[in-house]
Amino acid sequence: MAEIATVCPYCGCGCGLYLHVRDGVVVGASPSRSHPVAEGRLCLKGWHAHEVVDNPGRLTRPLVRRGAELVEATWEEARSAVVAGLGKTLETDGPQAIGVLGSARCTNEDNYALVRFARGTLQTPNIDCSLRIQCVPDAPQPGEAWRAGVSTGQIAELDDADLVLLVGSDPTEEHPAVGARIYQGRQRGLRVVALSTRKHPLARLADLHLPVRPGGELRLIASLLHVVLAEQGMAGEGRPGAEDLRASVADMSPEVTAADTGVSADLVRQAAGLYLSSERAVIVYSAGLALSPQSGAAVQALHSLAVLGSGGSRRQVPVLSLLCRNNLQGCRDMGVAPDVLPGYASLGDDAAVQRFEQAWQCELARGVGLSAWEMPGQVRAMYVMGDDITRSIPDPEATLSALEALDFLVVQDIFMSPAASVAHVVLPAASFAEQDGTWTNLERRVQRTRRAVSPPGEAREDWRIIADVSRAMGKPFPYEGPQQIFEEISDLLPIYAGVFYPPLAVNGGIRWATPEARDAGGQAEVMPVPPPAEALEAAASGLRASDQYPLLLAADPTLRPWDGEVMVSQTLTVAGEFTVLTKDYPDGMLCLNPEDAKRFQVRGGRPVRVVSPKGECQMQVRVTDEAPPGVALVPHHQATRLGIMEISTDQAGGRPVLAPTPISVGPAE
Amino acid sequence: MSNPYLPKIASIQKVKPETYDTTTFTLQLDDPTERKAFQYRPGQFVELSVFGAGEAPFCISSSGHGRDTFDLSVRKVGRVTDALHEMGEGGQVGVRGPLGNSFPFEEVEGKHILFVGGGIGLFPLRPQIQDVYRERDRFASITVLYGARTAEDLVYRDELEEWQQQEGMTCLLTVDVGAEGWTGNVGVVGTLLQKVEIDVPNAVAFVCGPPIMIRFVVQDLSGMGFGEEAIVTTLERHMRCGIGKCNHCMIGDKWVCKDGPVFTYRQMKAMTEFEE
Amino acid sequence: MTARMLPHERIDEFVARLMQSAEVVAPRRVEVADVFYGPVSSPGEVAWDYGTAIEPLKRFLLPQRETMLRFSTDGGLKVEAECDERERVFLGVRCCDVTGLGVMDAMYGGDIPDPYYMSRRERSTVIALTCLEAPEETCFCVCCDAGPFLTEGYDQQWTSLPEGMLVEIGSERGEALARANEDLLAPAELDQIAARYRLAREAEKTFGDFKSYIAGAMAKLSMNEVDPEVWEQAAMRCTECGGCTYLCPTCSCFTVTDRMNGSEGVRERHWDACLNNCYAREASGHNPRPERSDRLRARFFHKISHQWAERNGRQACVGCGRCVVGCMAWAHMPAVTEGIRRGVMT
Ligand SMILES: Cc1cc2nc3c(=O)[nH]c(=O)nc-3n(C[C@H](O)[C@H](O)[C@H](O)COP(=O)(O)OP(=O)(O)OC[C@H]3O[C@@H](n4cnc5c(N)ncnc54)[C@H](O)[C@@H]3O)c2cc1C
Ligand code: SF4
Repeated sequence: MAEIATVCPYCGCGCGLYLHVRDGVVVGASPSRSHPVAEGRLCLKGWHAHEVVDNPGRLTRPLVRRGAELVEATWEEARSAVVAGLGKTLETDGPQAIGVLGSARCTNEDNYALVRFARGTLQTPNIDCSLRIQCVPDAPQPGEAWRAGVSTGQIAELDDADLVLLVGSDPTEEHPAVGARIYQGRQRGLRVVALSTRKHPLARLADLHLPVRPGGELRLIASLLHVVLAEQGMAGEGRPGAEDLRASVADMSPEVTAADTGVSADLVRQAAGLYLSSERAVIVYSAGLALSPQSGAAVQALHSLAVLGSGGSRRQVPVLSLLCRNNLQGCRDMGVAPDVLPGYASLGDDAAVQRFEQAWQCELARGVGLSAWEMPGQVRAMYVMGDDITRSIPDPEATLSALEALDFLVVQDIFMSPAASVAHVVLPAASFAEQDGTWTNLERRVQRTRRAVSPPGEAREDWRIIADVSRAMGKPFPYEGPQQIFEEISDLLPIYAGVFYPPLAVNGGIRWATPEARDAGGQAEVMPVPPPAEALEAAASGLRASDQYPLLLAADPTLRPWDGEVMVSQTLTVAGEFTVLTKDYPDGMLCLNPEDAKRFQVRGGRPVRVVSPKGECQMQVRVTDEAPPGVALVPHHQATRLGIMEISTDQAGGRPVLAPTPISVGPAE
Repeated sequence: MSNPYLPKIASIQKVKPETYDTTTFTLQLDDPTERKAFQYRPGQFVELSVFGAGEAPFCISSSGHGRDTFDLSVRKVGRVTDALHEMGEGGQVGVRGPLGNSFPFEEVEGKHILFVGGGIGLFPLRPQIQDVYRERDRFASITVLYGARTAEDLVYRDELEEWQQQEGMTCLLTVDVGAEGWTGNVGVVGTLLQKVEIDVPNAVAFVCGPPIMIRFVVQDLSGMGFGEEAIVTTLERHMRCGIGKCNHCMIGDKWVCKDGPVFTYRQMKAMTEFEE
Repeated sequence: MTARMLPHERIDEFVARLMQSAEVVAPRRVEVADVFYGPVSSPGEVAWDYGTAIEPLKRFLLPQRETMLRFSTDGGLKVEAECDERERVFLGVRCCDVTGLGVMDAMYGGDIPDPYYMSRRERSTVIALTCLEAPEETCFCVCCDAGPFLTEGYDQQWTSLPEGMLVEIGSERGEALARANEDLLAPAELDQIAARYRLAREAEKTFGDFKSYIAGAMAKLSMNEVDPEVWEQAAMRCTECGGCTYLCPTCSCFTVTDRMNGSEGVRERHWDACLNNCYAREASGHNPRPERSDRLRARFFHKISHQWAERNGRQACVGCGRCVVGCMAWAHMPAVTEGIRRGVMT
């Protein structure tokens, strides 16, 4: 029996995980005590991570479509089919007609190779990852190679924190290792201020809970800024940008915002008071913040609040941005986005472009490409690597039909995903346990994932598959292994410059930093960004409940976030734990406050008819006081297929958002 | 060391659909010596393997008297039961058992015997009904009360008809939801209790059905004066091993698989987790 | 008591001899600082100075995932049971883990012995290593009568004295092993045996804050007198990670699944956790323990009620502290037993 140190493949925490290997089979998983993220803990997903590895449902051979069927093929046949299919689209419709999706489940090396494949080999700027929709938004930040949405702090900082401002998040379900630190911290007196629509378990145990109306998050944070800047009159003195910030929230006194946020001025002042007086505060926010079209701006506002600092010394407050999948950070860092280059280099930055062109020995597609949600209807061919596109994007059925209607679709995955089932070519990829490479967790910790066993059948590492296809298209990649790719990454991406592959083998890896922060020997100085007036305005005028539609329905990405996720639902022993929704709430879990359940005379477990201005559907009710009165909550991944929610665009990120939508609830037919 | 997890191989002799989602499978062990050794009593169950799909517990639904085959009546609800329903005569399955304890028989000699079954709760009662009826001289009377959700959900239709006609046995049926073509009783099975005369102090009741039905019937029986020892039921719990190792079926300090599945109401009440 | 001395310089030779006829499973370092009980390939690999191992011995006797049966459906059904007949010596095992084995033996032996567990167990020799001081700050074996020194349950118990290992014999098997290696051993002197008792007394004083109020909690649990509010509060904290059960030396629940590959298949069992929502959920959708508080209550009842202590020979907590390390929140044994005692969870 050997224990192979690697990293949990599920959430953004990136807990240290040992895979136990006997006779070439992964027979167990256990935590690592010496690993800095969770120090000897794992959540249920981590404990069962080994079970997906040799799951009978794994893809083991390349498949090529012959009429209605996908039939097994050799790698050569599959590769020729890919080259021919993509080649045809390139010829007839040009590179702009091809879309490429990367994945937060794949390594940095896989994603980097994919970006090179898209912008270099295929010459298309259309590269993205669909997960962006249900995750903490990232938003451009002026100045450095930094984006709001990236953690400035690290998880262990919660250990000596005296206050955590927990925004929109239920880390216990979504990011258990972060939740764990908060629970442990409470034992030594860590105070918790929770700001969220849902009264999740930690909100219940919190010292202060600000139950914000869905969509009111930006204005609530703005009112916190108002109190901190205008009333306490101290914070941010002399910091660049503080004056603009003060001006931007001048009208956002808690009395003004109370009407839109549902949070009393008194609670806001108490929260601001606790925050300001705490010596070692930490701000933690998660996708629960992504409930509104203004969440990009809300994230920026939170970072601004952090920059102003707290405590007597006005120390800059570390921020943890809870990204929902294990390598979402790395996926972003590698430039899997339509509007930036790897390392967040700007598309307009000639020097950066030249760097990549020189290294890749080809010209780069420099334009701003289509986003994941624009691709299916607008391109003719797609190359999808481990992206669960039908789960994230609103209206999965339409997405699937759009995928089906493509001239050519390649899907590279470890399981037969819905997208794979309509693909022209399906390529079997190696899982986390079968390849070497690196992952970057939500605190920018670049860690090694290790090959514990060989991939099943003919499955291969994602980067290798891409490199082979690129070679077949006449643009060979020179990589022999992940280490070589990583070395190129640290050569070309200034943020990865201080990170070297071999030392990553030491438990816990290395956290990347911007060159400025490295020079300053610590934390990056992030510029405060004044919340745009339009966003503040829009947040106030969001959709409201009315007599006809007396409840406000919000899609909550932190509500049973793992239910039905591809990998966990293939985990033999505990699949049941992650398919509860499918069994008990097949049409959608509508969480209603007991008051509302009484008011509309509906009972738990029963189907109801839900009507919005956009349409109607059936859902099953769960009566719980986690939902505040007047608000109905539904898991985000179920909300995408209801067809009754308003879809708007996040001003700061361009992503589509399922906006809080007024509804009425009545008996099912 | 013998391996209690190793199933014996059995073949499906007969497949008889009972309702739209339940079927009775008649099985016979392949090995003649094992077949002989396979002795069981009403109330016991087996762990059935459909290899590749898995293993699940089913009570033996036929009397063992004078035959070397046995019946399992199965509702289609998931992996194993779906796979079993795909199999036909001659199909090979695995069987472990008989497992668990059994209904009292000698102990209730001379008594008025009352059976109350709901839905597929009739499965475990059937062998006991058959055995008691075969030796009806040893009992004061036999009454079978059986209810299902709709007429479509009634199992063992032919046998129910026989029981209704047979001498020495009273058999009443009811459905929760009536429908066209149904001329019998409508209402939950508990309502049948008022329709029969029972010498309560000298009677024993065997009750089986969904948890909620058991709860109400036990309440009714207690109300009628049935003692805690005179109410016997068989419990169903999620089970894996059937031999008290996996712990899935544990209630308080008992394993349903090993200490049960047959319990008196008194034993049930003594379980720390039992909720009335 | 029969005791021997194994001089320090002969330990490696002793271990090397053990390795000739059996797989020697001992604490060994993995990566930088983590310790697992695992097979060692040379005597030098044994980490004698370790704290506690990440997982108990369960990973060998009741593995997280193990094959029970192999079957093929091609040309008539064939089914075969898997059998592990390897001889093992568990060397340098902490006392709490040895005590845990006793509870497992009661569960997996009994009137229907589990052949997988028992065939391994019967082929195991257990050499305990006493704790001269609390190995981790999470340890609380002193509250559970499971360490830091043992009086029974081992084949041999080793205590590190300045001159060497004091080898106490606890069974025939332990005596046989000593006899077979008599040339490496010397009889123990009286003052060496006395030193062992002195060290045991001193060791007990080094245990820290994670006291567990097992006895009080046990009484309340067994009489069904725990304030239901305690379970509600524990449920609010528990995140259902399963860690406490997987790490526990005496938690032994499993589930069974079949895996098919063409016409060949295996039946496997995997660790399961009674805290999982679907653990007791039935085919009808009915769940006898629908709330987390119900499941927590059932778990602690199984661990430390008199009813189960009687069935298992002792209560099932051995104070190894792993649930304290592994708990995602604050619902581990010491936290809950204290909650039970005080009627409220902190
Ligand atoms: C003592 C006993 C006697 C039984 N007798 C009969 C019988 O005569 N006829 C009959 O139709 N059914 C009987 N059952 C129920 C039967 O065991 C379940 O329907 C069966 O296990 C479902 O297996 P599956 O693989 O088809 O479903 P799965 O796909 O395993 O699961 C469907 C659902 O059932 C739950 N479940 C899984 N295993 C069990 C289990 N062992 N017991 C209860 N729920 C489970 C799962 O959590 C899941 O929610 C009996 C159960 C017990 C404990
Ligand atoms: S907290 Fe996240 S990283 Fe840690 S074990 Fe759970 S899913 Fe894996």
